[in-house]
Amino acid sequence: MMGEQPFETIVGAHHAEIYRYLRRVTARPAEAEDLSQETFLRAYRAYRTLGPDANVRAWLFTIATNLSRNHFRSEKRRRVAHQAVSVERREADPEGPEDEARFGEARARLEATVRALPLKQRLAFVMRKIHDLDYEAIGRSLDCSAESARAHVFQALRKIRLSLNGHELPAGGGAATSPLGMERPR
Amino acid sequence: MTRKPQMCLEIEPDLVAAATGDAEPGAARRVEHHIDACGACRREFHRYREIEGVVGALRRVPAAAGEALAREGLESRLADLRSRLVSYRVFPSPLGHILIARSEHGVSLVEYLHGRADLRASRLSRVAGVELQEDGAEIETLYRELLEYLRGDRTRLEWPIDLRLARSDFHRAVLRATAAIPYGAVTSYAGIAVEIGRPAATRAVAQALRWNPLPIVVPCHRIIGTSGALTGYSGDRVGLKQQLLAVEGIRAIGPRSDSRVARNTLYHYDRNDQREYCLPTCGDIARRPIGPVTLLASRELAGSLGLVPCTSCRPDLHPLAA
Repeated sequence: MMGEQPFETIVGAHHAEIYRYLRRVTARPAEAEDLSQETFLRAYRAYRTLGPDANVRAWLFTIATNLSRNHFRSEKRRRVAHQAVSVERREADPEGPEDEARFGEARARLEATVRALPLKQRLAFVMRKIHDLDYEAIGRSLDCSAESARAHVFQALRKIRLSLNGHELPAGGGAATSPLGMERPR
Repeated sequence: MTRKPQMCLEIEPDLVAAATGDAEPGAARRVEHHIDACGACRREFHRYREIEGVVGALRRVPAAAGEALAREGLESRLADLRSRLVSYRVFPSPLGHILIARSEHGVSLVEYLHGRADLRASRLSRVAGVELQEDGAEIETLYRELLEYLRGDRTRLEWPIDLRLARSDFHRAVLRATAAIPYGAVTSYAGIAVEIGRPAATRAVAQALRWNPLPIVVPCHRIIGTSGALTGYSGDRVGLKQQLLAVEGIRAIGPRSDSRVARNTLYHYDRNDQREYCLPTCGDIARRPIGPVTLLASRELAGSLGLVPCTSCRPDLHPLAA
């Protein structure tokens, strides 16, 4: 039974990743700190009831996602978050050689765009593209089907594409040019 | 701006997925065919490839600053939660509804709810500083053992216990001394007072047991008056005490208001150097106060406590009727 595994093991294995996830979807470190702690406190209350085959990682993402959604439900908080994003965008100007700078700039713009995405798209995008969760798990986290989760990621990428319009980007990931050659290894 | 052809609009989701390494094989093949023929979509495809490159860089960003701090904060909040979290469940039992609660240290409360079957009837709902959680599996096991005990199929509840709900160190000392009274034996409040080195504190002992947070587990039903009267139990529910004693082979007689253990059906042990136990008919032993005298339900129990049969009344030769 899952409950036999000491909770410390779960914290040790997953805290860093959950914190990074929350850091990406929230505007301020303090929010990520609080939400990540809250995620594990909730998990502690419930982990004894997990089945033996439960996917603990996906389960923690679900808790963190639910907490984020509750957190952002208040319009006011959302506004504050957006203001924080625009401040951060100004701070994120990179320095250094031209290529690196171009990359840094693209990354900063991407990060800013991600933070400005509608919440579900942002959560789905970060879970899929940064943390590599499958669409079934993302759907469970967002209370929607795997197909809707996929659609959220698609919409997020379209918006990112638009926000990067006219910006020169470093050539993308290697020599492959065929769609068939581009399936990411699982 | 010209409108995109329908075919390009339809394939867009697959195109984005394929360019970002996220397409099913079938979809990827369709995209490949399409961009062979459509220059605009091929450019889109490459643009998304570039974007995927930047996203990849995002994935490789080193561990976020602040993680260690957040972890540290979590450890302290977890420690706090652990010390406060109490899980409980309410169960039906032959003695009415019973609430069992446990903390991370052990079982902290067993409570008769007297007819009502919800948390509001419990003193748990009035304890400050605890976080209550209705829980399943772990407490279910305790419950099953308790039922076995009440049926007489089990003589020990070897549960880790958490005495933090006891009201004082004095109460805890009383509860520990009471927990040491074996199954099938009976002593008195005065006996416990002597045991904890406070011979004058008989009333305070009775009071401590009145607030016993762990009845049955800490067997306060085995503690009676020096005369043999059952006195009180869980308010005025002497009947429960009688039932619990009966399970252990100790019979009570008399009306409910004045019921007392039937001493003539029990072996007696009055502390002596030879460690001899007696029949109730041995001299005046049945008239001596309980406390100094311990009552025992069976010869097996006497044997397990290292006692030997009295050489004058010979309980080994004349056992009491079971």
